[in-house]
Amino acid sequence: MSAESASAILRNQVDLLDFIDWTGVECLNQNTSHPFPNALKQGYREDEGLNLESDADEQLLIYIPFTQVIKLHSIVIKGPEEEGPQTVKLYTNKEHMGFSNVADYPPSDTLTFSPENLQGKPVVLKYVKFQNVRSLTVFIEDNQSGSDVTKVQKIILQGTTVETTDMKGLKKIEDH
Amino acid sequence: MVLEATMICIDNSEWMRNGDYSPTRFQAQADAVNLICGAKTQSNPENTVGVLTMAGKGVRVLVTPTSDLGKILACMHGLEIGGEMNLAAGIQVAQLALKHRQNKKQQQRIIVFAGGPVKYDKKVLEMIGKKLKKNSVALDVVNFGEEDEEKTEKLEALVAAVNNNDSSHIVHVPAGSNALSDVLLSTPIFTGDGEGGSGFAAAAAAAAAGGVSGFDFGVDPNLDPELALALRVSMEEERARQEAAAKKAADDSSKQDKEGESTSQDATMSENAATSASESENKKDDLMDDENALLQQALAMSMDDPAATVTTRDTDMSEAAADDQDLALALQLSVQEGGKDQSGETDMGKLLSDQSFMSSVLASLPGVDPNDPSVKDLLASMQNQPEVSPKKDEDKPKEEDK
Repeated sequence: MSAESASAILRNQVDLLDFIDWTGVECLNQNTSHPFPNALKQGYREDEGLNLESDADEQLLIYIPFTQVIKLHSIVIKGPEEEGPQTVKLYTNKEHMGFSNVADYPPSDTLTFSPENLQGKPVVLKYVKFQNVRSLTVFIEDNQSGSDVTKVQKIILQGTTVETTDMKGLKKIEDH
Repeated sequence: MVLEATMICIDNSEWMRNGDYSPTRFQAQADAVNLICGAKTQSNPENTVGVLTMAGKGVRVLVTPTSDLGKILACMHGLEIGGEMNLAAGIQVAQLALKHRQNKKQQQRIIVFAGGPVKYDKKVLEMIGKKLKKNSVALDVVNFGEEDEEKTEKLEALVAAVNNNDSSHIVHVPAGSNALSDVLLSTPIFTGDGEGGSGFAAAAAAAAAGGVSGFDFGVDPNLDPELALALRVSMEEERARQEAAAKKAADDSSKQDKEGESTSQDATMSENAATSASESENKKDDLMDDENALLQQALAMSMDDPAATVTTRDTDMSEAAADDQDLALALQLSVQEGGKDQSGETDMGKLLSDQSFMSSVLASLPGVDPNDPSVKDLLASMQNQPEVSPKKDEDKPKEEDK
């Protein structure tokens, strides 16, 4: 039964790229010549040569707000074998996190990426924890080889939207 | 106009007692801090600034980031000098204070005044720098006071470690006759904010040095056009008056000009609201004492730059009082010099005698009714070439003037 429902969810999931609120996306410790759009934005992330790279050390903190509430099902992170991310912690609905307060809250989920995952195999999340997500913070703690620079080639978030009121569809009722 | 939260780290160690910066290193530093606070809050009203001291009994935060300039300036009073500067702790506390800022949208910046010697290793400072960069905190360092190679090297390494896209700067200020604040005004610490900082900097420089820098008269025409215009008007009138006075008394001419200029500049700078009062002070002397001087003034004004004075006189007429009397007076004077033909220039005379031009100018001026009899008289008189007696028209403006 759970397998069935899991596959049912899989069928409905969409790439949540369209629901990302780009004005609010922040990325700490990114190398400015290799910024986060290289991993997140439509055209850039397909390009294998364009990576998001870390700067001062190997950790990265990416804050992604959404334009509406979503349910997050799975995540795909592609990166090079050596410098790709290994331990990734996800936090939901926490704004403006810094490296100093990653330890303050328990993450909604902790993922360990294998080289297989780095090739594009999605990592399924604890769906129950991601039912009501307004913003997602991705904390990349370390990378595969322990090098000083972490490289991320592509990040795909997969899930569904929650039925929310479409404000544009609201029409004024004629006065009687 | 970047939205920024800034923490300023002040050095109040024993080394600040030294007098190689006038009056003391500490006082020079305090002036610079005041200037920076003003510049930051002016460039964006939502900017916040906080202050902490690095020496004394320990690192102490005097005021957490706030946009209230008064509070910031007040906390600078009664600071005690003593102890040794703790650079690393100071920067870390500053970073903590910024982390807890109320508006998370503000960019984080730390400004450090490093006067005393730096006892930390280069490595430690580089680590601190990296941590700042990781948390996207920008750092500006003002290296003054104690000068030794090691200190300079360490501070350079620190700023290099933090620097991300030229957002962090280091400035070395050697001891000398230049005040610390003046040197800082031209550095990226002030101007690095872009256009916003430079407007304030220009005003401050003008006030401090009594000169002009950047904008005319030290006031940004965008920020305060009326003030800038009033200052320009009174400046020109004062300048013309000086030249008239110079012509009168050839011996004292050079001395008078200098004195007059500096005093008039001080007057115009300090009495913002009462520029018309200072104007009238100057004018009263002329009108009451020497009518010829005024005529010379108009003459001189037109001689300097015919094209410019047409436009400036237009604005003078429109802004200064917009009364018929003043307009009539000004027209009179320009008519006079056309008639007198003192230096053989006839461009102005030609322009003025071109009735169509004059009437179009008059029509475009606010507060001037071309059908007004006095204006009509003037136009008529100009047409017939200036032979007009100044008495009649001058008496009228003189009575009702100021």
